[in-house]
Amino acid sequence: MMTRQEVPGPCRSSVGVPGASTGAAEPVAIQTSGLSKRYGKVTALTDCTVTVPEGRISALIGPNGAGKTTLLRLLAGLARPTAGQASVNGTTPRQVPAFLADIGFLAQEIPLYRRLSAEDHIRACGHLNPRWDAASVRDRLNALNIPLDRAVGKLSGGQRAQVALALTLAKQPRLLLLDEPVAALDPLARRNFLGVLADAVAANGMTVVLSSHLVADLERVCDHLIMLASSRVQLCGDIDELLTEHQMLVGPRKDTTAIERRHRVVQVTRTPRQTTLLVRLNGPVIDPAFEASDVSLEELVLAYMGQDAPPALAHLTAIGEDQ
Amino acid sequence: MTWLVWRQHRIQFCLGAALLAAFAALIVITGVQVADQYHAAQAACAAGTGCSHPAGLFLGSRVVGFLVISTLGAPVLVGLFWGAPLLAAEFEAGTTQFAWMQSVTRRRWLTVKVGWMLLAAAVWGGVISILVTWWSGPDNAQQLDAFKPGRFDIMGLVPVAYSLFAMALGIAAGALLRRTLPAIAVTLAGFIAVRALIALLLRPHYLSTVTTFYNVVRGYTPAGAYWQTAQGVLSPDGRPVPQPNNVPYLYGIPQNALPASCARAVNGTSPTPSCLQALAHYRGFISYQPADRYWAFQGIETGIFLALAAALIALTAWAVLRRDV
Repeated sequence: MMTRQEVPGPCRSSVGVPGASTGAAEPVAIQTSGLSKRYGKVTALTDCTVTVPEGRISALIGPNGAGKTTLLRLLAGLARPTAGQASVNGTTPRQVPAFLADIGFLAQEIPLYRRLSAEDHIRACGHLNPRWDAASVRDRLNALNIPLDRAVGKLSGGQRAQVALALTLAKQPRLLLLDEPVAALDPLARRNFLGVLADAVAANGMTVVLSSHLVADLERVCDHLIMLASSRVQLCGDIDELLTEHQMLVGPRKDTTAIERRHRVVQVTRTPRQTTLLVRLNGPVIDPAFEASDVSLEELVLAYMGQDAPPALAHLTAIGEDQ
Repeated sequence: MTWLVWRQHRIQFCLGAALLAAFAALIVITGVQVADQYHAAQAACAAGTGCSHPAGLFLGSRVVGFLVISTLGAPVLVGLFWGAPLLAAEFEAGTTQFAWMQSVTRRRWLTVKVGWMLLAAAVWGGVISILVTWWSGPDNAQQLDAFKPGRFDIMGLVPVAYSLFAMALGIAAGALLRRTLPAIAVTLAGFIAVRALIALLLRPHYLSTVTTFYNVVRGYTPAGAYWQTAQGVLSPDGRPVPQPNNVPYLYGIPQNALPASCARAVNGTSPTPSCLQALAHYRGFISYQPADRYWAFQGIETGIFLALAAALIALTAWAVLRRDV
């Protein structure tokens, strides 16, 4: 059995939050406040307030339709917000060459001109970007044995994704936005793609936001998390801190009001014999009856998704937790 | 941006240029022959060695003549095959997201793409018009029909304006519908509808027609390549004489409306003086646009289609730049 508890409050982030381990003066790549987007009557994003410090690789996680693509498109300046503001690399996303030069955006569909070769794309991008590292694309694709002279429409999905990523990286953006880049790839291509990405980020020190609906895809490469569900931000911050702040408390089946009064309970699972709480800590847990343990990123994300899921789905999640 | 436009559309550009070159070769070769024949016939006529019938002059080039008339449809081709897919194909393939994420604003992307396509359309319409106008020179001089619907539309400035309009229509349809095939269909239907409406309903009224009344026996023909919009005869009481088909006419008057004194003249015998006297009370009239208004009409029609093209480009800019994607 499970009770559902509303956990109010917008996104928290390490920046500007008292007690955060990182300094408040840390430069910020992305800062949004109250960002909302409606398409007609459909609300795609509601009151989104997130902060991503520079140099982070941020996982943008949420179920399908949660608003991940909308958020990325707003950040890239491809869509205009209905309400709220976004600041990306210190300016509002807009159609000026200087802003665009600092953004790399790779859409989910991996858009490339199918009849053009990788070499054609390299030359086109060379004409369209002030900073352009053509040699890096050729090197990367040669290393992956991807032919430069073949129409990209004839390449495999994994190869196309690699071409698109290499082109996006060669632009040398300060902020890289990737919308479900690995969703269509097989496990090997997925690993190659994320490996190339991680290497490039390590070399250039850019900020990355990488969306996916699967935690496992992102756990290895990301150090920051934004979680969306039902068009709202559920969780936002550095993954290490989020994991430290949350604990799984397991204890006898008893009244948990004292804990709920002090800490923020994200998820409660009760069986006839024991109670399991996933809490966001606010100081130490004093009750000796409860044994605290660390949570995994997957558990954390599922807990926050569960509190937003429809009852039937939440129930299934709860059963899964029991076993 | 220009490099990308060229790389994306070079096959289209080359194909278009090849078609123009083939058409030009055909027109120049046959055109020189037609002009030679025409000048030879004129010289022979002036020297009094016999005026050959003008109809025979162009018999040898009937196929080319048909091709020349069919350039009526040339402008819409650029709208169908270049204009409609220009943006629609990019939206369909999602490649707008590739182009818009380079360090180039959407406005510049659109301006360069549309700019080159409009230039290509103007060249297409212009080259075809120059060739057709030159080829038709002797024909026009002989037939005096350059102002008539169908001929007016394939010569001078208007083919350039039609081509620009067709291109703009195709681009706008592609920008709004975002699907290539529907955009092509809308371009074809829209082009035919607008061209027909303007040619049939609007063009006759750009300037009010000149109406000349004349003696039916002497007759009257306006000078040069005029465009006749109406012609008829007024009876002595000032009412227009109905003009039924399949009855014999004398001086433009049908048999049943002729004065009695002219009854026998219909059969070919020369009219009697009393008949001619009676006919003096009839007045012929002709409503027409004089030949010297040709360029004014070309200018007005060109202006209308350029304005329509400009409006469509503005609509395209709104659809691409203002709307979210």
